[in-house]
Amino acid sequence: MAVVILKHARAAKCFVLSLTVLVLVGMASSFVAAAPLGAGFERTLGNSAVSEILKQYGGEYVLPLHQRLWVEEVFRRLVGATDRKDVVYSLTILNSSELNAFSLPGGYVFITRGLVNSIGYDEAKLAAVLGHEVAHIEQKHGVNAVFRQMGLTVLLEMGVMALDLATADLFRIASHTLLQLVNLGWGREAELEADLIGQTLAVKAGFDGAGAVRLLDDLFGVPSEELPMKIFRTHPDTEVRRKRLEENLASYWSTPVVVRDQDVLERLDGGRNFPLDRRIDPTNRYVISLPLEGSGLQVFDQQTSRISVWLEDVLVQDFAWSPQGKYLAVLVGDEPQTQLWICDRWGRVTREVRIELAIADMCWSPQGNQVAMSVYGPSGEHVLVTYVDADIIFAVGEGLSGGVAWLDSGVYFENEGKWYHASAPKVEGVTIPNPVPQVLQKQRILSPSVVREGTTIRLTRPSLTMP
Amino acid sequence: MSLKKLKLGSLITVLFVVLVSRVGQAFVFTDPTELYSTTIWDQWVYQSHHSNDQITVFYGEGDYDLLYFESLGRVSDGSLEAWAQRALRLYEEPGGLKDFQLEMPLTVIDVAGQTGLSCGYSYLDERDNQLWEYRVFLILPGGRGFSIALSTGDAWLEDGSPLEDILRQWRWLF
Repeated sequence: MAVVILKHARAAKCFVLSLTVLVLVGMASSFVAAAPLGAGFERTLGNSAVSEILKQYGGEYVLPLHQRLWVEEVFRRLVGATDRKDVVYSLTILNSSELNAFSLPGGYVFITRGLVNSIGYDEAKLAAVLGHEVAHIEQKHGVNAVFRQMGLTVLLEMGVMALDLATADLFRIASHTLLQLVNLGWGREAELEADLIGQTLAVKAGFDGAGAVRLLDDLFGVPSEELPMKIFRTHPDTEVRRKRLEENLASYWSTPVVVRDQDVLERLDGGRNFPLDRRIDPTNRYVISLPLEGSGLQVFDQQTSRISVWLEDVLVQDFAWSPQGKYLAVLVGDEPQTQLWICDRWGRVTREVRIELAIADMCWSPQGNQVAMSVYGPSGEHVLVTYVDADIIFAVGEGLSGGVAWLDSGVYFENEGKWYHASAPKVEGVTIPNPVPQVLQKQRILSPSVVREGTTIRLTRPSLTMP
Repeated sequence: MSLKKLKLGSLITVLFVVLVSRVGQAFVFTDPTELYSTTIWDQWVYQSHHSNDQITVFYGEGDYDLLYFESLGRVSDGSLEAWAQRALRLYEEPGGLKDFQLEMPLTVIDVAGQTGLSCGYSYLDERDNQLWEYRVFLILPGGRGFSIALSTGDAWLEDGSPLEDILRQWRWLF
């Protein structure tokens, strides 16, 4: 009887061993596919690498009070837009001048003071960086990459150890692999996915999705060796990623629908949507008119009572002041080669928008940072939106070309007697909840710098910034 | 006329001239968002580059003389005192003000009918110059925070608050 029992016990042990190996094989395979581990495991794994990261990047940096509150508010809004509620997110500023940001499984997001300072107070760019890193955590890119990297090794070690399972060893190996991978990135596919998911997170949180494109533009000018940031350095297809992010901006706009609201229709028939009204300088300094013949813009300066010509030798079709009077949008050239130029309020061209289509009409966004254009050409009729300070263009309406107007919530465009409306994503500035008064200091008088241009010497006006 | 009376007369004349000239050299500043108005001395120059809907900045004559009024968002600390104390604590903590020293404790004052808390403190700027700042915390109807601050490089705190004129002329426009 005892022998029988012994035999049964051996059989049971063999059965358990086989079952365990099978389970482990199954687990390891599934780690590679989707890492179906709980948030607690991710947190422990991520936490195991935190001290090493802090050591590598000079420890934690405490930002000046109001900058810290601002960064924390951007991060809080992003975290509020995430889907994974089982993750506790934390943000650490690293004491390094490098331009770098990364994340660890379990909710640990890091950004260097160098990158925070280079971003300045542009919340859209900060949201783009942090959104990208949060997206890695949301999609479990880190933990998946670790198990993809160590999968077979772990399987063998765990197979040998069989019944011991050795959680501590598993963490030791995983943590070591994590540290090796964190500086290399989580893989091409993961980076591409984090781009778009991060951009969507930023838009959901009320930031301008164009921040991701503008950030890439900023970093294009930086020598690659100075860019340790894995999301921008390691991939030769940065331009492809920029294009994907730019094209994706249209997806945050609503599909155009016919406008039936009588109040809106009445508003569309008046005010600044009329070409003559939008030609009035909102600050009432300049009176600009199109010359009856010839080129350029005739400008009368009411402050100095002087008449001058802007954009001399350029054929101007139409122009419109931005609502705040900061910029002047000008349609130049003969149809169908019309182009949109953006000038500052002194008539200097700051951007030439190059498209291969004729521009039928244009209008400013209420914030004065975007211009909508209805265009037509061989590729059809489109309503495009572009930015004043970035080379970004995307389509928000197709098959429609006529009058275009931008009221509060989005762009309206006319086609065959009907107005259509496409809503823009809502963008909100950063407001610090429960604020603390600022402490300002007097800015010292800035000396102008001397610039020699041939035989002339020019003094540059010093730029003033908030203390 | 005795010498004593002559001296007293001269002193009164000098004080009168100073007061008249001071009144003559002040202007009424009305906040563009129509929240308040007050009288500002002519020596203080409005800084349009540094001012916006939330903050209004004036530069004084001294190297560090600065006057600014800040309109903040909703305060949720529960009380004016709790808010002021939290702000001072944050100023003192890392990331706040270097070598922060509270020189004048929080004191209840009245600013045109609104209860405020005033205090004075000193700290070092980035170049290790010692600056003194006198600040008034207010919570306006609706729970929005408001702050009036005057900073300088001179230790004027011992002589009382130079903000008195500004606060005396202060009017809320709501």
